[in-house]
Amino acid sequence: MAFIRQLILGLSLGLSLAGSAYADETMPAPYDPLESVNRATFGLNDVIDTVIINPLVSVWNGVLPQPVRQGVSNAFDNLDDVYAGLNHALQGRGSQAGTDFGRVIVNTTVGIGGIFDVGTKIGLKKSYGDFGQTLGVWGFSTGPYVVLPLLGPSTLRETAGRGARIVTDARNLLPTNTYYALAGTEYLATRADAKANEGLIAASSLDRYVFIRNLYWQRRFNLVQEGRNAKAGSSQP
Amino acid sequence: MAFFAFAFLVMAPLARAETVQPDDLVRRLASEVTNAVRNDPELQNPNSPKIADIVGRLIVPRFDFLRITQFAMGRNWAKATPQEQKEIVEQFSRLLTRTYSNAIASLKELDIEVKGTKANSNANDVTVKTQMIGRPQPVAIDYSLINSAAGWKVYDVTVEGISLIAAYRDEFGSLVSSSGVSGLIDVLKKKNGE
Repeated sequence: MAFIRQLILGLSLGLSLAGSAYADETMPAPYDPLESVNRATFGLNDVIDTVIINPLVSVWNGVLPQPVRQGVSNAFDNLDDVYAGLNHALQGRGSQAGTDFGRVIVNTTVGIGGIFDVGTKIGLKKSYGDFGQTLGVWGFSTGPYVVLPLLGPSTLRETAGRGARIVTDARNLLPTNTYYALAGTEYLATRADAKANEGLIAASSLDRYVFIRNLYWQRRFNLVQEGRNAKAGSSQP
Repeated sequence: MAFFAFAFLVMAPLARAETVQPDDLVRRLASEVTNAVRNDPELQNPNSPKIADIVGRLIVPRFDFLRITQFAMGRNWAKATPQEQKEIVEQFSRLLTRTYSNAIASLKELDIEVKGTKANSNANDVTVKTQMIGRPQPVAIDYSLINSAAGWKVYDVTVEGISLIAAYRDEFGSLVSSSGVSGLIDVLKKKNGE
């Protein structure tokens, strides 16, 4: 019954089931039928970065000392752990979900609202998990690659996953201004963290669009593969 | 004859002990480079000319740039003339060394722990798993090595499961299909500032 529900949920999000959900071990090539539109959005994002985001990131890095920036990142990571736990549970990875929720409890209490990552120090290892990955573990294929305005690389499946997270976010209960202030801070903290890598990619790539698309595609494939392997491992006695 | 046989039996294990195992090679490489950076403040400046020297001495000899380029080229490798192949290997290794050399300076605060070795297709093709520690979260970095007459050499680096050379393969493929092998060489040269 659970499978039927998953199937209906996925199909209602406009996704198709992958042919062989569990046998496939090698990564398919990035599927990008919308390349010309995506390249246009990619270019637009570069302009937005140059004009708005990069100056904001410079201010962010200049005003806040490193420990404070790390604290802000940790606090948002703590919220991510809630979603990682939820998704690992949906993927049938009970013990991983236990670790994730253990991290949330320890980091929220001893780590003062998630500012300090005490969980990692006591051996509760951080593990990434999201709704797009869950859909993949359930057997849905990625759909086409899409570049979203401001948010960057995604796929149809990952965009659906992102939507699911936005809809279920506890922060929806906050006043509108607070909600957007938090969303903006989270966005900036994420982008500031990624800046060093973005510089390296720009320096080393020949066609940055293709390079980033491939890195993203590998990352998503690995996450789903990891989820499937973990699930297969935990169902064996 | 008996003497030779005896000598051979004694020598064989010694000879084997002398060949460097891939995990030792990665461990040694990591400690040599991190120690060099820690002991020389000049190497902590990403723009220091000394970095190129240490990369050329310690790192480049341990990488198989021919294999790396062949892997990145995929089936397009056969489309290139021997002269073009030589040029691509030269330009691509220059691009990789130049851009990733800048990251050396950050090794001051980082340590690399070898986690184990996994055989790939055969015993002469292995992946050494390592973890880079010193950041808020550890980063998994795997080195794929192949054994040849010249010893073990790295032919791919995988960061958190993401293969660097696979990303280049897509780029190379896209460039060759849009502007040919010579077009790819032009882009590489331009990127290297030639």
